[in-house]
Amino acid sequence: MTSITPDANPAQVVPTVVVHRAWKRFGRVDVVRDLSFEVRPGELLGFLGPNGAGKTTTMRMILDLIRPDRGEITVFGGAPGARHQRRIGYLPEERGLYRDVSVLDTLTYFGSLKGLPSREARRRATRLLEEVGLGDSMRKRASELSRGMHQKAQVVATILHEPDLLIVDEPFQGLDPVNADLLRRVVLGQRSRGAAVIMSTHNMEEAQALCDRVLLIDHGRRLLYGTIPQVRAAFSDGAVVVRGEAVPTDPGPLRSVAEAQRVDGTVRYILSPGRTPQDLFRELAALDTRVERFEVASPSLNEIFILAVRGDRRAERVP
Amino acid sequence: MIDRSFLRLIALVAKRDYLRTVRRRGFIVGTLLLPLSIGIIGGIASFFAGGALDGLAGAGGDVTITLANESSLGLAEETRDGFRVRLVDRAAGLAELDRGNGRELYILADDYLASGVVERIAVSSGGRVDLGDLQRRQVQENGLADYLRRSLAAQIQLPPDRVERLLEPVAVRERSLDGAPPASDGLAARFIVPYAFSTFFVISIFITSGYLLQSVTEEKENRVVEILLSSIPALPLMAGKIIGLGGAGLTQVAIWLATAAITLPALGSRGNLGPINLSPEALLLALVYFVLGYAAYGAIFSAIGALAPGTREAQQYSGFFGFFAVIPLILSALFLTNSGSPVVTGLLLLPLTAPASALLLLVVAPEPPWPLIGLSLAVLVAFVVLATVASARIFRATLLLYGVRPSLRQLASAVFARD
Repeated sequence: MTSITPDANPAQVVPTVVVHRAWKRFGRVDVVRDLSFEVRPGELLGFLGPNGAGKTTTMRMILDLIRPDRGEITVFGGAPGARHQRRIGYLPEERGLYRDVSVLDTLTYFGSLKGLPSREARRRATRLLEEVGLGDSMRKRASELSRGMHQKAQVVATILHEPDLLIVDEPFQGLDPVNADLLRRVVLGQRSRGAAVIMSTHNMEEAQALCDRVLLIDHGRRLLYGTIPQVRAAFSDGAVVVRGEAVPTDPGPLRSVAEAQRVDGTVRYILSPGRTPQDLFRELAALDTRVERFEVASPSLNEIFILAVRGDRRAERVP
Repeated sequence: MIDRSFLRLIALVAKRDYLRTVRRRGFIVGTLLLPLSIGIIGGIASFFAGGALDGLAGAGGDVTITLANESSLGLAEETRDGFRVRLVDRAAGLAELDRGNGRELYILADDYLASGVVERIAVSSGGRVDLGDLQRRQVQENGLADYLRRSLAAQIQLPPDRVERLLEPVAVRERSLDGAPPASDGLAARFIVPYAFSTFFVISIFITSGYLLQSVTEEKENRVVEILLSSIPALPLMAGKIIGLGGAGLTQVAIWLATAAITLPALGSRGNLGPINLSPEALLLALVYFVLGYAAYGAIFSAIGALAPGTREAQQYSGFFGFFAVIPLILSALFLTNSGSPVVTGLLLLPLTAPASALLLLVVAPEPPWPLIGLSLAVLVAFVVLATVASARIFRATLLLYGVRPSLRQLASAVFARD
């Protein structure tokens, strides 16, 4: 089990996964093109991209289910392969359970394949199924479970052997808010334990709330890669949004403002070159305005996703 | 965490697939259905056969014929080896039938010595054909013929030893010039046993391949396969399936065989196959061929399960390969008449026909061609290893495609990919 200390120097921690200039072609289509990124222990990487962007192919390459045509992938410091399987938990997008077998038996089998003694696998499966609210259903056949129950059971199967690397493809898709929150805590618990997590998702709010870093790809190519603050800063246009009483709606009295516009009960100021939000705040205070909200505007991850996929070149600004 | 060695993973998959299969309702019903059918059919047959014997036995346990003699042949009542002839006149005999005493009356016509005609008057069966009646009649008429031959011989005062020769004129005793058992000795056993053995092999292949196809296509349809392949390499997964599901198929066939072995003698089967001269080495070899043959077909059927878009297509494709297993059975006469034929040699060296061919040859050939069998085994072992590896690679490469049919080029690159 990988252990990291909170004050460990990130530069000294060996990345769990390194993908370096990987290429994969199916037929005449380059599904993954020159893709590079890494994931460290205790880090949750949000893997974002439209359908068909190459996310699943990349995950399968990390799992060694398919091989890259070019480039290099290292997992736990070595080549991907069977020897790492016991340290990896994988929740594929196309997931399933044996329909005519009890959930507990299926999970015990999956745990045994990962190297757990059968009894221990059963014990852990029982405990985790109870934790996710499937205590009463663990002896039911999978065919008798609802979709949400299926999904919870599959997440349990993925973490049963306490993997050091968790690769989860849309883990919360189709769940009601209560169950989504439950599984979110399960995944975050794995990160807290020190596991590296790669999570594919289309839910940008989720990514913004959970991920340490995000990787956005489209047509197999990396569009964006960085921490959430880095990404949002890169797409920020320097605007400041202010709400309050007697807030000027034109730049006249504000020397730090180049442009102002009223938007949904707020005023959005574009700052003059060289001016900072702090300058604006001081000027507003001097004008005796009553400020209720003062916020440096930066687009949401959802907006950034759309902008980046449409070719906004600010994505290249992410360090 | 415990050891995840190759063999342990195989054992894990094999055990799990075996238990899952043998606990299925379909398996249990299928396994019990055949013995049950044999039991029911046997019971019915036994019931009717028993009824027929009861009819033959009569009150005193003898087969009795009521005979009215209107010919000039002198006859006397006789009881001999449980066979009784009772003489009555026509009117008394008919009156007995009317009263329900007895079921038939035989009458020697007055011109019997010239015509040989014997009249039989029986109680009407109402158009029903009764197997027991037919059997009883056969026994009665054979007995009556022997009785009349003896009576005729007595009339011309033939000595008793000539009477015996008249009744049984031919008793063949055969031997060959060099003292070896004659070629025809135990012919049925020599032909039927290997034929049955090979048929058993083919049946087990088809049954077990059904389980393999079902398992692979089901895991594909249930979307479990990607989880499995991310947990265990394809080769031990495939090998475990072949062993586990093969074991389930063999369990079923073994239960059927055991049932047949117990039930058929109990039902009074009169088949006498004579001695089967199979040395322990040959028996061991037959077992090795059986296992290797199953592994070869198992590997192929698993790959078919991975390639086929659905269960129905998988069964169609597997039928084509299953035909190879049947070829030696179709040509079994050739094994008996000319086991040294080039065709037999070819079948023995071809991996898919080798198991059934070897099983036939081991029993039929007077002296099995050991060098050829050694070569055949080597080819078969190599084929099993290559087929299992290839099918594991195909399994891995194609199962992730979920319904998309891979091109031949993709398949070839999957099979020949370097690890």
